[in-house]
Amino acid sequence: MSNKNIKYLVLHFFLTIIVQGQSQDCNLTIRGQVLDEGTQEPLSFVNVLIQETATGTITEDDGSFLLEDICAGEYHIIFSHIGCEGDKIHLDLESDTIITIELSHSPTSLSTVVVEGKKESLISQPNLSVTRKTIEDNPDKNLSAILENEAGVHLIKNGNGISKPVVQGLYGNRLIILNNGIVQSGQQWGNDHSPEIDPFAADKIIVLKGVSAIEYGGGNLGGVILVEPKRIDREHHLHGQINYSYDTNGRGHSINTRLGKYSPSLAWRINGTFKKYGDQRTPDYFLNNTGTQEINFAIQLEKTWSERLYFDFYASTFNTQLGVLRGSHIGNLTDLESALSLDVPFFTEPDFSYDLDAPRQNVSHHLIKAKVKYLISDHQVLDIIIAGQINDRQEYDVRRGGRTDRPAMSLLQLSLNSEIKYTYNFDEDWTLKLGNQTIATDNENIPETGILPLIPDYESWRSGLFTTLTRRKEKVRYNVGLRYDYEYQNVPTISGDLPRRIIRYKNNFLNVSGLLSAEFDLGKSHTIGINSGYATRNPAINELYSSGLHQGVSGIEEGDTRLNTERVLKNSLEYKWLPNTDFSISALFYHQHFKDYIFLNPQDEFRLTIRGAFPVFRYEQTDANIYGIDLASQFTVGRVIFGVLRYSYIKGQDTTNDLPLVFIPPNSFYGSLTYRLNKSLPLSDNINIAETEIELNNRLVWEQTNIVAGQDFAPPPPTYNLLGFKVSANLITPKHKIRCFIKGENILNVKYRDYLNRQRYFADDIGISITGGVNFKF
Amino acid sequence: MLQLTKYFTLIIFASLLFTSCGDDEPEIENEEEVITTLTYTLVSGGNTVTLSFQDLDGDGAAAPTITSGVLTANTTYTGSIELLNETESPAEDITEEIEEEDEEHQFFFDSNVATVSYDDQDADGNPIGLSTTLTTGDAASGTLTVTLRHEPNKSADGVADGNIANAGGETDIEVTFNVDVQ
Repeated sequence: MSNKNIKYLVLHFFLTIIVQGQSQDCNLTIRGQVLDEGTQEPLSFVNVLIQETATGTITEDDGSFLLEDICAGEYHIIFSHIGCEGDKIHLDLESDTIITIELSHSPTSLSTVVVEGKKESLISQPNLSVTRKTIEDNPDKNLSAILENEAGVHLIKNGNGISKPVVQGLYGNRLIILNNGIVQSGQQWGNDHSPEIDPFAADKIIVLKGVSAIEYGGGNLGGVILVEPKRIDREHHLHGQINYSYDTNGRGHSINTRLGKYSPSLAWRINGTFKKYGDQRTPDYFLNNTGTQEINFAIQLEKTWSERLYFDFYASTFNTQLGVLRGSHIGNLTDLESALSLDVPFFTEPDFSYDLDAPRQNVSHHLIKAKVKYLISDHQVLDIIIAGQINDRQEYDVRRGGRTDRPAMSLLQLSLNSEIKYTYNFDEDWTLKLGNQTIATDNENIPETGILPLIPDYESWRSGLFTTLTRRKEKVRYNVGLRYDYEYQNVPTISGDLPRRIIRYKNNFLNVSGLLSAEFDLGKSHTIGINSGYATRNPAINELYSSGLHQGVSGIEEGDTRLNTERVLKNSLEYKWLPNTDFSISALFYHQHFKDYIFLNPQDEFRLTIRGAFPVFRYEQTDANIYGIDLASQFTVGRVIFGVLRYSYIKGQDTTNDLPLVFIPPNSFYGSLTYRLNKSLPLSDNINIAETEIELNNRLVWEQTNIVAGQDFAPPPPTYNLLGFKVSANLITPKHKIRCFIKGENILNVKYRDYLNRQRYFADDIGISITGGVNFKF
Repeated sequence: MLQLTKYFTLIIFASLLFTSCGDDEPEIENEEEVITTLTYTLVSGGNTVTLSFQDLDGDGAAAPTITSGVLTANTTYTGSIELLNETESPAEDITEEIEEEDEEHQFFFDSNVATVSYDDQDADGNPIGLSTTLTTGDAASGTLTVTLRHEPNKSADGVADGNIANAGGETDIEVTFNVDVQ
């Protein structure tokens, strides 16, 4: 140790490397320790593998490892551990090196998230995250469906191609989705509209529960879903991956490619996805016209101007065509009643097809974003973002007179977002944030549909100011936040009565939200967090001005121009216990009390038209409570078996009328057990099979019993239980990593219907599905 | 990339549009597909009875105008249906659209005081129901429901005989008349 040339590098987010000079050709050593990111405890049984030499080891009880007799050169070292998101580092080995690496037990780290390359605790925000591995292993799923097995997250669907996430019972206008830091704009109001985001373009999907929207534009009461690509890997040569998968149910193909290269002057990454699925199948019959097709592309650029000035650019385009079950397209109430009485829906064909006929949707979403980050000083950061989005949606129905090829609804929404945020760290443990977000939206019905639009044209302008103050001490963390939003709406509606004429509304709304939270480390690995927030949400355009037949739900929907702003008081309590790396449990209790909760209430009368009688739904307000518990636990047994248990209980009640709220997710349980082979199996001299895992999983969804007869067209479907499996392994060669998996869902081919899937009125949900995939990384 | 550049330009254009903050008037869509009026004309000798259903505001809240009729007991009538879209001026004859797409449409008749049989056929030899024969029974008061289905399964069991149960498809029209048979 004569040469004390010790360098301290931050190569990866949590990685520190100490390089000690002692240069000799082929007897270098890499020594290190692996820690659990959450508990800082050493992790044993971590598989450490040098990709290029196919040599590896497993960490000892104290998390340490030693790799010897390595030649100088560039290497990739892969770290993987049971129940962890693995990590891969790039190392230019010149001398003996010591590495400390932290691996995150992804589902357990409920309150830690990576933001802008530094570890930042979102203490006030009970959250959970989905990692890249989960995204890659679910090429058959859209953004919402990937989140389905997480505690406290449910899906509201219209068939399996169209789904949106529900977080703690809130969705649509009450839930913000941030794609790349930008509030996803589009037709968020519709239950039959999916968020138009390609999960393959992301590396992490984070669900923040609670009134956590203080810092994010959109001003919503529910949670926030953050869809984030990671920063471009600091790798100077071209890197990339190709994913391909095939799904037996729907005979679906999915291809994704990602390429990237880093250089200090300009780092870039591109991502492209193509998916094609045909008719899905229930245990007994095909769901005709339920195929999808998707073509997506994204480009990400990062440039470092100087030590203090960074520039990011992101552009993406998402284009999808979705079929809607032909048998679910109905006329009036009589049709609905006859459809409800059928075992097999009308228009069911014996043959599979990739064809997409009406009813179908064509949707494109384009995003362009530029971000500048300026480090004013070591303690002050300024972020500026400008973004634009285009959402182009056409919905086609089965129509008369050759009009099927003309959209029945055609909407073009343009929006512009801007954000400016100032962050100041002072007195060691304080952080102050100040910022403004502005969103301007122009929503237009493209004429020539031949149908009066359900949603009117509108322009809206929303601008908000926020501030948050955080203090982090050893054992206690506090957070206060305040947000103030102004919204202007200019809405030219078309009158429902004759003669048709324009009635213009101009609205001004003010919204306020506030948050108080604290997290206490009680010692012995017990943590408790309390979160209390108040927020208001002004009525959305659809709630005020919807008018007409919502074909998808076979009902006449009417907005109410007199609706008031909705208010919510939300309290939550989270308890976590992480005694060691082998076990963790967390419980989150939440209670949301709404004043003037806006909901679609079925009316007593039916409206008689020439097409028969239709149920009428009107937007009304009431006081309501939505509350529940999310439980999550994970454990390892003997370092070879890894288990996950998640449970959600939720209840929603209209307190004014003493009635249950409709479309509240039923209680659910998800569990999985994974057997993992910790050792790499050498296949030949320089090829290893690593990270071999066999997983069995189970999803149980109980019947929604908290509902009164007559609140819905059909009673809630009974409890169902779905069994699944996954077998996966990585083939590691000096230059490449190939991940192969095969998974099965609903492997017992259970016939079931899901309460929150609108297609349940017409058909069963999908049966057995086997998906095989290959992921090639280079 | 060209596509992206195009959209970027569009966004800049849109931003100018916002700042102008204009009160643009949206185009009021021409509801060409709407059926506002159904007239079922029944003729027996010199006696003509007209049943009609008119709803000018479509799905709007205004109630439809329904004209019922009085039929003679144990009599055979020749029936014909006319459909109009009266939101357009002059009124558009939707009957022609049905005739053009006769394989995709079928009327169904349900009554407790009369029976209805089909007098017309599409190219496949299946009934349409624009021309019918209605035969009344004994004197009674009852109803007659006329239903038009779009894309029914005409080959399903009983559908060609006028039984709606297995027809499927979407309902384009479903109107009920009070009928007095004297």
